Amino acid sequence: MSKAGDWRNYKRVLLPPVKDLHKLDVYEAHEGYSALREILTTDKWDPTSVTDEVKKSGLKGRGGAGFPTGLKWSFMPPIDPDVPRFLCCNGDESEPGTFKDRQLLEYNPHSVFEGMLIASYAMGIKTGFLYIRGEFADWITHMEAELEKAYDKGYVGKNIMGSDFSCDIVIHKGAGAYICGEESSLMNSLEGKRAYPRIKPPFPAQKGVWGYPTTINNVETLACAPLIIRNGGEWYAGIGAQSHPGPVLYGISGHVNRPGVYEYPTGMLISDLIYEVAGGMRGGKKLKALVPGGSSTPVLRADMIDGVTMDADSLREAGSMMGTSGMLIMDEDTDMVSFLRRITHFYHHESCGQCTPCREGTGWLENIVTRIDEGEGNLRDLDLLMDLCSQMEGRTVCALADAAAWPVRYTIDRFRDEFEAKCKPSLVPSGADLVMA
Amino acid sequence: MPTITIDNQTFEFEGQHGLLQFCLDNGVDLPHFCYHPAMSAPANCRQCLVEVGMPQRDRATGEISTDEDGNPLIQFMPKLQTSCSMQMADGMVVQTHRSSELVKRAQKDTLEFLLINHPLDCPICDQAGHCPLQNQAYKHGPEGSRFEFEKVHKPKHIDLGPRVVLDGERCINCTRCVRFTREVSKSDQLTIIERGVKNYPMTPPGVEFNEPYSMNVIDICPVGALTSKDHRFKARIWEMSKTASVSTVGAKGSNCYYWVKDNQIMKVTPRTNMDVNEFWLADEERLEYRKFNEDRPDGPTVEGAPVSWELAWKAAADCLSGVDGSRILFLGSAWATVEDNYLLAKMADAVGASAPVYLPHVEEGHGDGWLRTDDRTPNAQGCERLGIHAASAQDLKARLEAGEIDVLYVMEDDPVASGVCSVADLAGIKVVLHHYNTTNQTLQAADVALPAAMAVETVGTFVNVDGHAQRLRPAKAIAGVNRTLSMEIGKCRADRHGTPFDKWYNESNLINCQPGWVALPAVAAALGHEMTYKGPKQIMEEVSASNPAFKGATYSAMGELGVRLESTGVTA
Repeated sequence: MSKAGDWRNYKRVLLPPVKDLHKLDVYEAHEGYSALREILTTDKWDPTSVTDEVKKSGLKGRGGAGFPTGLKWSFMPPIDPDVPRFLCCNGDESEPGTFKDRQLLEYNPHSVFEGMLIASYAMGIKTGFLYIRGEFADWITHMEAELEKAYDKGYVGKNIMGSDFSCDIVIHKGAGAYICGEESSLMNSLEGKRAYPRIKPPFPAQKGVWGYPTTINNVETLACAPLIIRNGGEWYAGIGAQSHPGPVLYGISGHVNRPGVYEYPTGMLISDLIYEVAGGMRGGKKLKALVPGGSSTPVLRADMIDGVTMDADSLREAGSMMGTSGMLIMDEDTDMVSFLRRITHFYHHESCGQCTPCREGTGWLENIVTRIDEGEGNLRDLDLLMDLCSQMEGRTVCALADAAAWPVRYTIDRFRDEFEAKCKPSLVPSGADLVMA
Repeated sequence: MPTITIDNQTFEFEGQHGLLQFCLDNGVDLPHFCYHPAMSAPANCRQCLVEVGMPQRDRATGEISTDEDGNPLIQFMPKLQTSCSMQMADGMVVQTHRSSELVKRAQKDTLEFLLINHPLDCPICDQAGHCPLQNQAYKHGPEGSRFEFEKVHKPKHIDLGPRVVLDGERCINCTRCVRFTREVSKSDQLTIIERGVKNYPMTPPGVEFNEPYSMNVIDICPVGALTSKDHRFKARIWEMSKTASVSTVGAKGSNCYYWVKDNQIMKVTPRTNMDVNEFWLADEERLEYRKFNEDRPDGPTVEGAPVSWELAWKAAADCLSGVDGSRILFLGSAWATVEDNYLLAKMADAVGASAPVYLPHVEEGHGDGWLRTDDRTPNAQGCERLGIHAASAQDLKARLEAGEIDVLYVMEDDPVASGVCSVADLAGIKVVLHHYNTTNQTLQAADVALPAAMAVETVGTFVNVDGHAQRLRPAKAIAGVNRTLSMEIGKCRADRHGTPFDKWYNESNLINCQPGWVALPAVAAALGHEMTYKGPKQIMEEVSASNPAFKGATYSAMGELGVRLESTGVTA
């Protein structure tokens, strides 16, 4: 059952159909910066009530992990005037299958700025860093110009809108590493260090950028903040799936007729998204598999998506995760071994190399999957792959090893016959442990 | 007191401790690579994984929940934890590879990963034999490898700087070297470049890894990725004996090991002493070892002609006898031990001369407030405490030129090279010289030349710039029989090669020289002054008992780590 209600008549709010919304004057004409104005110029709001409103909205992070945003904001320690604190907006979107933040950065950048300012107000932050993937070069140039305009208008900078709230926004360009999207890596990268993830604890709210309290939110998450203030947390909580509410940008790619980014409530039926929103399977082919939330989330077989909706609970039951809601759709002609080969190549290429299991394991996984894909694999390679996945999962500083292991584990688990068909017949029985006694 | 249970054994502890260090200190041999006690714990090698649990607490009361027998219920963390980055807490329960199959398996898995792209060129690797990766692979690793692909190739034999060579393929990316330059030496000359499995340490563009402490990364490298340009391929670790002693290059007296093969010093490595040099050794302290091997004299000479030791003692005594004590200049030495300087002072006293002086060898600006000091001698502080004070070359030159001196008795120094006088200036003066090397320029003017055992061949005491009295041990043998030296050599390396009872023993490169505590009593005896000691141990006992500046500095008290003497207010 769809939890998205009357989604066919859904009115877009994150990316409304307004021409030139990326320009400040157009954004202003469409209630732009009104949420910030309301917070700063009326008595209705203080930092606590802003955080409470976000908590009330039930907003969960859109960057992949789905952590409740209001709760995250409340982790910041009490304000100490001598200790700076920072906000980081994570725009280092680079997982295969995920391409929704770039739409916001391109078409509605001021909503991200406004969201950053609201979050900064709620947490008493005076500097927000917008860390953007370096490959988004064109939009970065454009956003810098728009940010300049916002500064000129007094929306950003000292004493915003005449209030005593001051906050700067700094746009920081990434240098092209997937790992920089990991929050502690992002902080190291921002500091000018090598982007190795940090050990947690301490968490960013205790020791973040340059050792000071820091909160890191995804672009889409922060873009929701002005909507929540403008329309109220209850309004937001009423959109889509109850336990995972709000509007979501679905990035649909693969073998569908109309791939693209679509804004709809959470809790959309996957089948609705494929067959109605994205115009159905390309060439009328049959659906074979889909990855619901970016390449690291477990792949689902076509027979596993009946009645499954795009929200954390439903996807967990189905055996996958919401992730970043970047959906990879694959039709019946897809070679799942070849698909996995591409995914393992990505994680091999992007492992930062800090921790042993990930540094060595990702390459080994790619080696074996490539061998199977080229018809040179053995049946026992499948067991070895599973073994390597268990050797990597949960044994590294950050979650990249898990993100690399899960696609392997679940793709083999759910499409084992395809892998076996590509393997050479083996004299060694499957499951035999040859070396590791 | 808070307690922690490790493998069902309960320990008490106080204060804040990292779990890994506590385990290592208490005999739990947890494998690890990236952790080093002097640096931050990045937890990147993932080798020290353990299971960690905490007592379950009742949510409502905060009391520790217990089972029927009254034992606390333990809630284990869902993932294995790196013990290096884990702080200990009261009631913590830890399971290591000794009690947990899961941990055992995880350690084996990590080692399998570490080895797949490691070149496994142990037979030609300098680190083999003292390689943490090799040792831990044997102890905890898998029996073989399931890796059937070409290993990753990375740059090899790269000169990172003038003294350190990198083999990128051997590197396991523990980042110890990078953290050393960042956190300890603060030169920031190394970083990791590339990404993922291609990672290796490298200098930033245009930077040479030439800091004065660069060679420490060779010791802390847990594999053979970083090797010494000076030492690589010279000797296998098992062909050398190592002797715990003290560096002679500066006044800091850094603790070190001398590595000896065929009676030649092959390399010098740091020895941990938290009161002196912690874990480190400056490059100059490692590289100035050739003086122990090269240009060494072969037996005593009189007027340039080789003689027996007995004749040499006699000749030296003849130079002194019948001369008015005030016309004899005794030159002590900050290169020589406390014992030898003490005997020299005794001899000066016996012949009625004034107390010896020594020539300071100070190089302004050389020190860095850490291990390198302006003073380039190891024992100036010891001389001062004995009442042997520094005399400038100008003063001595003036005294010589004024014709005040008939006999110059030099212990282990080089007045000509130090600018006191020229060889010609010494023409009318009798010169007795105890010397280390044939490069000693005073040698040409010496009437009697007595080769002296160097710091790596003798037994004695140095007092460092901070007043830390430390023992020297003989790392290599000298020609001839000396019971004290043989005993000391045997004591500190009974099971290692180098002793006459060892199959590796050989008699090449033995230097015909004598320690000061043999030579000086022999000369004194020939003069008719008895200075009979059983050996340097007894001399030091006498010094520590008679001189308050050496209170407590007996051999047994000094042991391997030395004793801190009370400050005398005297600075060398």
